[in-house]
Parts: sequence; C-alpha cells; structure tokens
Amino acid sequence: MAGQAEIVVEALLPAEAGLPSAGEAGVPAFLERFSSEAPPAMGWALRAALFCASWLSPLLIRRLPPLSRLAPRDRERALAAMAGSRWAVLRQLALLLKATVCFHYGADPRVRAAIGFHR
Amino acid sequence: MIAPVAEAARRDYDYVIVGSGAAGATAARVLTEAGRSVAVLEEGPAVETREFGDQAWPGFKRMLRDAGAQTARGRAFIPVLQGRCLGGSTVVNSAIVWRLPEDVWRTWRDEHGLGAALPYERLTSAWERIEKELFIAPTPREAWGEVNRLADDGRRALGVSGAPTRRNVRDCRASARCLTGCPTGAKQSMLVSYLPKAAAAGAVVCADAQVERVIFKGARAVGVAGRGFMMRARRGVVVAASAIQSPLLLKKSGVSSVHLGRHFQGHPGCAMVGVFDRPVGMWRGATQGYDIDHHRADGRFKIETIALPPEIAFARLPGVGRDWARRIAESGHAAVWAVQMRAHAEGSVGAGPFGADIKFSLDRRDMVNMRRGLRFTAELFFAAGAREVLPGIHGLPESLKPGEAWRLEAGPDDPACYSMILSHLFGTARMSLKACDGAVGPDFRVHGADNLYVVDSSVFPTNIGVNPQHSIMAAAWLAAERMAG
Repeated sequence: MAGQAEIVVEALLPAEAGLPSAGEAGVPAFLERFSSEAPPAMGWALRAALFCASWLSPLLIRRLPPLSRLAPRDRERALAAMAGSRWAVLRQLALLLKATVCFHYGADPRVRAAIGFHR
Repeated sequence: MIAPVAEAARRDYDYVIVGSGAAGATAARVLTEAGRSVAVLEEGPAVETREFGDQAWPGFKRMLRDAGAQTARGRAFIPVLQGRCLGGSTVVNSAIVWRLPEDVWRTWRDEHGLGAALPYERLTSAWERIEKELFIAPTPREAWGEVNRLADDGRRALGVSGAPTRRNVRDCRASARCLTGCPTGAKQSMLVSYLPKAAAAGAVVCADAQVERVIFKGARAVGVAGRGFMMRARRGVVVAASAIQSPLLLKKSGVSSVHLGRHFQGHPGCAMVGVFDRPVGMWRGATQGYDIDHHRADGRFKIETIALPPEIAFARLPGVGRDWARRIAESGHAAVWAVQMRAHAEGSVGAGPFGADIKFSLDRRDMVNMRRGLRFTAELFFAAGAREVLPGIHGLPESLKPGEAWRLEAGPDDPACYSMILSHLFGTARMSLKACDGAVGPDFRVHGADNLYVVDSSVFPTNIGVNPQHSIMAAAWLAAERMAG
C-alpha cells in the first residue's frame, strides 16, 4: 500500500502556498498505521479509496492507469475527476481519502503554524 | 471512581444501569440520592480529562463508536456520531443545552398521549435542578471568538431570531476543543459531573464493561450478563445505551416488540464554509457558541456555528491538489456553520455483521428543508460579510458569491450529493400507552417485562429539533424518581 499511497497523497495535497506536501508531512506512513488501527470496515474503505484513486481515476480523464504513469498535473486532474464524479461511491471514496489524509496533515505542527492555528 | 467490573459483580444492586451518558448518569445521580444502590456499566473506556489531546484521530479512535465510522445507509451513506466512553456522548459533544420545545411536547401529548407520563411542569422542575447543578448559561461574549461573533452580526443584519448558545460549562477557556474532550474539565460532561456525584453517593461505576444481555426470571429482569461477568439487580435493570444500542440489547435479550429498532429518527446536519476577507480563527472561542433558531418551527431546522479542528475542517474544503492546498492555506479566514434539521424520515436499527445496521434515508420534504436551510445559512454568511461560500455540494459551483445564495435552494434533490452527518438519535424503543403502539410504557418500563426500564432517547416518540441532552436528562430524571419512589 505504501508506494501507491505515496503517489496518491502527493497528488492530492502537494506542497503549495507555504504548506508542506502530504508526503513531507508523513501522511503515507500514517495511512499504513491508520489501516491497522481503524475498525476493519474503515481500513477496507481506505484501501478501496486508494485503489480507485490509482487505477480508476486515470480512466475518468481518458488516460491509462495507474496514476503513477501520469504527469503531476494529470494526476491532480484525475483525482479531481474522481472527487467530482457522477458516481456517488467514487465521490464518497475521494472524500474518505481527503478526510483520512487530514487526520494527520491537519495535526502537523508546520501546517498548523502556517494557517495561524493556535489555541 | 472506577471499579473493575469483575469485582463490582460480586455484590447485588438495587439497580444496574447500562450506559453512562446523559441518561444513565442522570438516573444514577437521582437513584443514589434517593438511597438506592446502583451500578453503572459503560461499554467504552474511561478516558480522564488529563488524557484529552488536541488531535482528532487519537480522540475519535478512543472515544467514538467505530472510531467515528459508524454509518447509516440509504440513499446516501451518512456517518452517525456517538460517544463510546465513560460519560458517553456528553464527553465529545459541544455542551449545547436546549429544553424540549413546548410545541414538540404538545405533539407528544396530543398525538401520542404522553402528557401524563412526561408532564411539562415536572420536566421543567428537573431542568431547573440540572441547570443549576451543571452551571448552564448562555455563552458569554468573552468566550465567543470571531466565529460566533460573525453569526451574531449576520443574524442582526438579517433581523432574524437567534442567541448565544446555552451550554453546560463552568469557567470555559474557549479553547474550541469540546469535540475531542474538554481539556480543562470546564464542560460539565457526565464524566466530571453526575458520575462523580453518583459515585460519591455510593454508585459503583465500571468502564470497559459491555453488557451482552439482560437476564430474566420469567418476565422479570433480574440482572445483566456481559463478557466475563454477571451482575444481579434486585429492583430493576435500567437501559440507557442510546437509541442505537438500547434496542439491540433488548432484542438480543429476547424482548419482542415490532417497534424495537423501528421509528429511528435523527437530526441530519450539513455544514458549509464561509470565507471572509479578514482572519476568523475559528479555533478560538466556544466550539458551538451561537444558535440561529429563526426557522426551527416553520422550517424544522436551526443554524449552529461550529469550530471544527483543522483535521476535520480541511476535508470540508473543496478541490484537490494545489487548489485544495490553497484553500487550506487560507482556512484561517474560514468559518463553518451547519444546518441541523429535524428530519421527517424514519429509519431502522438492527443487528449487522459489523455492529449496528442503520438504515436511514431523507425524504423529499427533508431535502426541501435542507436546501432551504443551506440557502439561509449562506444568506447569514453574506450578511456577516463573507466574500464567498463554499457549499461542498455535488452539482453546485464550488464557490458562491454574494447574491448567489438562491442557488442552494435550487440544488440537487439527491442526498448523496451532500456531505451530512447524523446525530441526536431517537425513537427506537418509543414510549406508548399501549404495547401495540410502542416498546416502552408511560412508566418507562418495557411493555410486557417487569423491572426493565429504558430511559434514553430511544423512548422519545419523535425527534425534537433541538440538541437533546437536556431533554434526555430530564426524562431520565423523571424515570429515576419514579423508580426510587
């Protein structure tokens, strides 16, 4: 899962606007941990989301999978197509992916500092 | 305060209470004050105030049922959030307190015949006691933060009704961390209020004690059995495990009523993001400090502010890739407000292979109200000065500008186009005068069973359109007074 996750999360959340990328924030390792810590159904859903992002999303922009074959801009386009797909299940898997990535990314001290988060 | 269940099970109690949330803890508080011996059994762990961190995932994993992944299925998959820890959902909610609206109570009286079972004046007297004991008051201005102040601005600009939220907090530090457990113990959740009070009066409180069935002798409930323990109850078993777990426990225990698990109702919520030119910093201030209830009666919805932690808020922002990252970078300028709706829809709760099998689909009337609520929320945002609103709805533009709020009311009819959550759950063991109309009688006793009571929101005959903790506590208070008497 690790290699697949790295490609997907880097495309989902690249370094931009002073924020680290999801990869730099350690999201791929978190996803590994998450799969083992979460209830089984949640772990399966995450794996399904990563699979769809890697192997189905390129088809939505008429490219051959996997996502790793695509140029960075096309990877983003493919994931955007999945998030806005007419099939609700693909949209929900994209949302699950975003939500799971954020569990770790939003807790990263660099990210929190960059958005002015303090309590 | 916590006793190992194996040790606690060595003795008998007058009442064994299943569940330690708003209902169970209140029943324990009243019964112990009346001199009854009580054991409270909580399925989830005991998590102390000092253990509450400021990150969502560790908190969700430990304190929410299925780590927050419990889902209702129907025309859309909707997450159903419930606490699963000592103190129940009161530990992870935003401390919002509303009395049961009188118009809702009147339908209970007139359409369900429950006026004598739940007299409003007796509910009121319970609320008065609870409000005093849990320091309930409107959120003071100094705890508002910018996100709640903007809601007040928007409400005033539109000339609609709303007010600072009444909450059960004491010396709130406005850290916006209610959802992962109050780190200062200011929130008067059951963990720091009624459970310690009941324990001080002699209640035995056990965590990690999952009850698997109620034990009967004939038609009489005489105790409970769980993993590795049995506990005897001399006067009764009190089920207060939530509108999802209570019917499942009763079914597993052999209680047969066609109404068990049916009539499931809730309050679906849909959040929207408003972006302002100036910083908002939604992470400072009361987590939910302002309510706009203008359309509670005529539209069956109200609007709440909510300070989501970054880990949750980011996922509500649109886009992927660099677009999403740019949205995240400006999230300090964002506020999140949500529509909380009193849905007409009824679903069901049954046993599934991975826990509860929850079925729930919003109907056409609900979708009309939801869209109306979202439009109203956008109008409030713009009236408060938002430069754009991010609806997060499939089929609508990613961003709406002032003057475009109407588009929300013309949005899609399919619930799967919206990101919702379902909270505040009701009705799965509803109270009725006759056994043919519900599962529980007007004395909170399960129809056809002796000494088996249900005191949580399962017994509510309808959803109520406001945050239910206070109504649940008052109902449990009345039930416990009767049991004690």
